[in-house]
Amino acid sequence: MAEKIRVVVNEDKCYLCGGCAGVCPTLAIEVHSSGWEFFQDKCIGCRICINACPVGALSAKPLEVKE
Amino acid sequence: MKYDVVVVGAGIAGPIVARNVARAGFSVLLIDKKPAIGAPKQCAEGISIKVFDKYDIPYDRRYINREIYGAKLYSPSGHELELRYKEVSGVILERKVFDKMLAYYAAKAGADVLARTEATDVIRRDGRIAGIRAKHEDEPVEIRADIIVAADGVESTIARKAGINTYAPPHEFDSSYEYEMLIEGYDPDLIHLWFGNEIAPRGYVWVFPKDEDRANVGIGINSDNPETAKYYLDKWLRDNNIPARKLLEVNVGVVPVGGFVRELAKDNVVVVGDAARQVNPMHGGGMAEAMEAGTIASKWIVRALEEENLSLLQNYTKEWWETDGKRLEKVLKVRKVTEKLTDEDLDLFIQVLSGADAEKIAGGDYVEVIKALLKHPKVILSPRRIKLLKQLI
Repeated sequence: MAEKIRVVVNEDKCYLCGGCAGVCPTLAIEVHSSGWEFFQDKCIGCRICINACPVGALSAKPLEVKE
Repeated sequence: MKYDVVVVGAGIAGPIVARNVARAGFSVLLIDKKPAIGAPKQCAEGISIKVFDKYDIPYDRRYINREIYGAKLYSPSGHELELRYKEVSGVILERKVFDKMLAYYAAKAGADVLARTEATDVIRRDGRIAGIRAKHEDEPVEIRADIIVAADGVESTIARKAGINTYAPPHEFDSSYEYEMLIEGYDPDLIHLWFGNEIAPRGYVWVFPKDEDRANVGIGINSDNPETAKYYLDKWLRDNNIPARKLLEVNVGVVPVGGFVRELAKDNVVVVGDAARQVNPMHGGGMAEAMEAGTIASKWIVRALEEENLSLLQNYTKEWWETDGKRLEKVLKVRKVTEKLTDEDLDLFIQVLSGADAEKIAGGDYVEVIKALLKHPKVILSPRRIKLLKQLI
């Protein structure tokens, strides 16, 4: 099973092109006209969005597990 | 708000649908989330000269940067293949003007157009989709419509929220990065394409001239590549000693290059353009494909409204798959074969092909060229090359 991750965006690199949302198989990312939004509950940790970003604006952080 | 048709997205396909449906006398609303329709673009802006007549689009100098007479291809080791026509074969557009003018033509035909209006979700009533929820500036709006057109680009949020499966695996996307920049030393009457697995894995580098010394310089690579498109383009510029200090625009996007959507209409929702992955998988261009799909979709939308029979929308899926879909499936097969070419193969093919061969390939008559290649001594000596080329026939 894929590691649980939180996808984060570097807003200074991101062009809001929508590519990450387009490749996400689970609609875990929405790109609005003025911002980028991630839905943790939908993310399956596949990292397709991170690879696809033409400028490397996305990265993954391991999800903190509650004790 | 209530319309016969609401079109989400004012790229290429959306305004064509909105214009055609409005011309038939039905009420249409075209919305786009961007404050300025057409900007930023995600495109190299090249298009065939044929589309203007075919899709009834004025040949307006306001959005034509430059007329193009052919193409020049470069192999990994620098072999060149030139294809030059006597007549104009294509143009480099200014998308930020072109898209806005397409929306203007839709508005002139009777459609309402709202920029900076973002579709957020679909409205479901009694088990069917009755419209969309949107946000115009900070104001939530509900737009009811009999037919919803998802022309919302590669994200295809509305199509997916409407239950249309637009999923494609990661290898079916290209990741693209482009500068509009000052660049010298390239014939500004031709588009220029560089191939090579080190240069642009699965894709190519392009220089599409917009002026004597100004061009879109970009790259597309497989989106599941561990490096970014930006990394490869910057490397190419450095390796070729091309200074990147006069950058007028940076354009970024992900391009669907396969995995065409099977079901293009579901109940009263249709999907067109990039949202339906209607893009040429070989070169990643999708404007002509979006115009074609928009034209077919609008024909069946008008018919469905006239006859008050929404099941006629299914004919859009059927007609597209019997025509452009069938053509693009063949192109996808060719791409899958060309993906296996090594840099040595690319060097050899570009070396031995002539401009006349390139013209035949560009015209779709590639079988004769492949047959000629199969007789070439360097091809005959390689069972792998013979196998690859035979897959193309």
